[in-house]
Amino acid sequence: MAAAGKFEWKIAIVNKPLKDKTYFENLKETVIDTGICSRCLTCACICPVDGIIAAKPVDFPDYKERCTDCGACVRVCPRFDYKPKYGMGEYLEFVAAKSNRFVGQDGAMVTEIMMSAIEMGMIDRALFVGRNDEWMTEVFHVYDPSQLEMGTLTGTKYTFATVLKDLKKAVLLSKKGVGIVGTPCIVSGVKKLQKEYPLFRERVKLVVGLFCTENFHYEELAAFLSEKGVDHNRLIKTDITKGKFIATMEGEEEPVTFKVKELEEILPSGCSVCTDFTAVEADVSVGSVGSKPGFSSVAVREKNAAEVMDYIREKGYAEFGGDAVEKQLEFLINYKIGRFYVETAEEEGRDKSL
Amino acid sequence: MMGTIEALINLMMADQVAIPLLDPILNILYGIPLLGYLLAFILWKPIFAGLVCPGFATLGVILMLFPWIERKLVARMQWRVGPREILPQFGGIIQLLADSLRFLFQEVIVHRDAKQPYFVQFPVLSFIPALLPLLFIPAGVIVAVKSAYGVQIILALVCLFPFFILGLGWASNSRFAYIGTVREAFMYFAYEIPFIIAVLAMIVLYGTSDPVAIAGMSVPGIILNPLAALTFFIAAAMATSRLPFEIAEADQELAAGPHVEYSGILFGLIYVMCYEKMYILSGLMTILFLGGGSGPEIAILGDLSGVVYFMIKTVIVMTLLAALRGVYPRYRLDQGLKIGWSSMLIMGTLALVISLAEVLIL
Amino acid sequence: MKKIVAPDYGLGETVKSHAAAIKVAIKEAILPQTVTSHYPGERRRMPDCFRGYLRFDPEMCISCFQCSFICPANAIGMREAPDNRYYPTIDYGKCIFCYFCLDSCPGGALKPTKVHDVAYNDVDEMLTPTCDMIDMPEIIREDERYVEYKIDEHDLSLERVKGLDDLAVELPELEKISMVSVCVAPENCLSCRVCEEVCESGAITSALDGDEIRMTIDTTTCNGCGLCVKECSMQVLRLVRREI
Repeated sequence: MAAAGKFEWKIAIVNKPLKDKTYFENLKETVIDTGICSRCLTCACICPVDGIIAAKPVDFPDYKERCTDCGACVRVCPRFDYKPKYGMGEYLEFVAAKSNRFVGQDGAMVTEIMMSAIEMGMIDRALFVGRNDEWMTEVFHVYDPSQLEMGTLTGTKYTFATVLKDLKKAVLLSKKGVGIVGTPCIVSGVKKLQKEYPLFRERVKLVVGLFCTENFHYEELAAFLSEKGVDHNRLIKTDITKGKFIATMEGEEEPVTFKVKELEEILPSGCSVCTDFTAVEADVSVGSVGSKPGFSSVAVREKNAAEVMDYIREKGYAEFGGDAVEKQLEFLINYKIGRFYVETAEEEGRDKSL
Repeated sequence: MMGTIEALINLMMADQVAIPLLDPILNILYGIPLLGYLLAFILWKPIFAGLVCPGFATLGVILMLFPWIERKLVARMQWRVGPREILPQFGGIIQLLADSLRFLFQEVIVHRDAKQPYFVQFPVLSFIPALLPLLFIPAGVIVAVKSAYGVQIILALVCLFPFFILGLGWASNSRFAYIGTVREAFMYFAYEIPFIIAVLAMIVLYGTSDPVAIAGMSVPGIILNPLAALTFFIAAAMATSRLPFEIAEADQELAAGPHVEYSGILFGLIYVMCYEKMYILSGLMTILFLGGGSGPEIAILGDLSGVVYFMIKTVIVMTLLAALRGVYPRYRLDQGLKIGWSSMLIMGTLALVISLAEVLIL
Repeated sequence: MKKIVAPDYGLGETVKSHAAAIKVAIKEAILPQTVTSHYPGERRRMPDCFRGYLRFDPEMCISCFQCSFICPANAIGMREAPDNRYYPTIDYGKCIFCYFCLDSCPGGALKPTKVHDVAYNDVDEMLTPTCDMIDMPEIIREDERYVEYKIDEHDLSLERVKGLDDLAVELPELEKISMVSVCVAPENCLSCRVCEEVCESGAITSALDGDEIRMTIDTTTCNGCGLCVKECSMQVLRLVRREI
């Protein structure tokens, strides 16, 4: 294959705002230290020496020794050259649906879409976020529906997960493709990876976005919830409905509820600058808002997701409850945009009304 | 009292083994009171035959050495080495001594299902047919019991062997022993008749059944009647369970046939039984077909000259029997029976006809 | 129904066969062509390609892990030495003596011996640390000679040759490894230059070329050890057969 002599290839250099510093220092100064880091961990995913860790904030403890200054982290960071996205985005259809096969948050449509994609042969493994008894998140590679029997893979956790950290491993191990579920920031990270590197373009076949207002650090949320009287060991399910946080515990009939507004005090800074509620860049977005209780709203944006939905329809795996109502989302979309402008206005000393 | 002893000493001194080589020493030793009597007793021909040669002592030496000779010889034929580790300077010659020591100190297991008194008695009793025929086998002129019907008596005693084997197989009360015993019984009838006919042919040919007289014939029987010699040889191989006819023991399929349940010194007794039988049959063959102890007289050895020739011939016959183990694989039971009842019976009958013809014509 | 019967050769043929068998027996009894060697006293002469106990030369080792990767019995483990490099250890309880490790070693650090009878007191002892692999095992020789059998093709007779031999085998100079590392997906390369760092032979270099970083593999100096392929986090490098 290779003739004697030289074998050459070239890689374009990424622009550095701070010329005399390494790429990670650039990233640290412009994204992490300014508080706009969404903790999506795209940088940890791509780092060739596997040095970036999911601390709070994201860090590379011994970058002076180990960092090779390749610039990959800066290339893929969705917040490095941040263009905020908002609104409903483009979609092919927006329907309410409920899975007949799985039980999860609302209509369990995320699980349904992933499992159908595996069944179709589109992907051979899906990255799911599970939890342990303490409600700390763990990443699971799901390649068989039987793995879902443990029950902790479905449902919302409202804490940051290290899904992307496992993406490279999953991509290199997979043969057909990988499916990934994530918050809008994770979706943005994946899309940036796909834009920059053909490996991810070829292998990440399905990106499912979640409707997201904010996400919390585990320690802070845990402290906040225990203050409210929620026992993590007995917690079965968390949910946010109609501006209320509902935590259902084992053995107690009345769930602990409080207003979402109260959570704002532990709102991470990265989430406060985010305006993307519906994961605009995802192949398909799923959330509970916009449909009646027990159903998920599914916004199908790309062709591959439409194929999966057609498959679900064909097999009758899900029950469809008509079109979801876009109107109901507007409040939360605007709430998120509003939050962003309030904060930026505060910072820049501008009027809140903008 | 003294007179009786005197008469006995005189009787013994009249029939001493004459060894000119040792005469000077012997004459001195005879003079020593008690040792002289003992020596006179041992060198008295009937006692010498029974105790020393071809009797008990020689049998002991043969049993100690012959299995080693057999194993070494067969190993050479089969490109192996044979016993080696015990006294390697002499090629493991004391292998059987080591084995017998092991047999001595090993526990004798008499299992619960065995018919216990018989189980223990039969191996010991089997020495009766082993030792008694030795009294009638002449080594040259030395013989324990002179009898005009010596050959028939030897034959009769040798034919007792299978009964002991059947007996210990029955006493073992185990399926392998049982199968081996049944096979032994089958084979017994297959070889016994041609065997007796072959001996009968020789008795007819010589016109006498006195072993000493037969051994003294001028022409050896193998020249007079080779067919009878061949029949006798094959029948001897069958009788001693040598390899082509090792049907009753059949290590590979029956473990060890009739004596599968034995261990310790009892097994040792059974193990040497086959070699005892081989020694007796080889001695009988030497007398009937090879001229016994006859050969060029060695004057200096006197009567021992015949003993030496007899022993050399016997060991050669035994070696030939042992060498079959290196040449042939084992026959099946049906093949063994077929050989016994057809080929050998025909050969034996033909040998008898040849003998009769020779007697009538010559 | 088909009947299976023993072939009948007739009397003459039978007697002839018996005579032939007895003749061979007598010949072997007088002049045996013993094949069995008296093992502790003499041992078979092994050919130089015999696969026995392995020796190891740390100076030739480039810690490329190839031996450990290729070992089908999973007997080779890499242990960190005091000089912060990784050297192989062999578990002779697992080793199947296939010598894949020796064949795969790009530096020629593993060396063959003809020692085939190494004894151990227990299972743990069979895991041979690197330091024990450097020297030949101490051989307490009971034998004073080897035996070698030469078979004549024509009459199939054997000749026993005796002599003394050395159990250590010196290999001739190794041929150049025919593998070379290439980049199969340059567009996925992160330009992290980890490959450049791990390359022992200095075949991989990087240079700034305007707005681009130019990565170069010098295929003439690359020794095909595969370290860069192992380290590449995006798996863009592959080992391929060198074209000559």
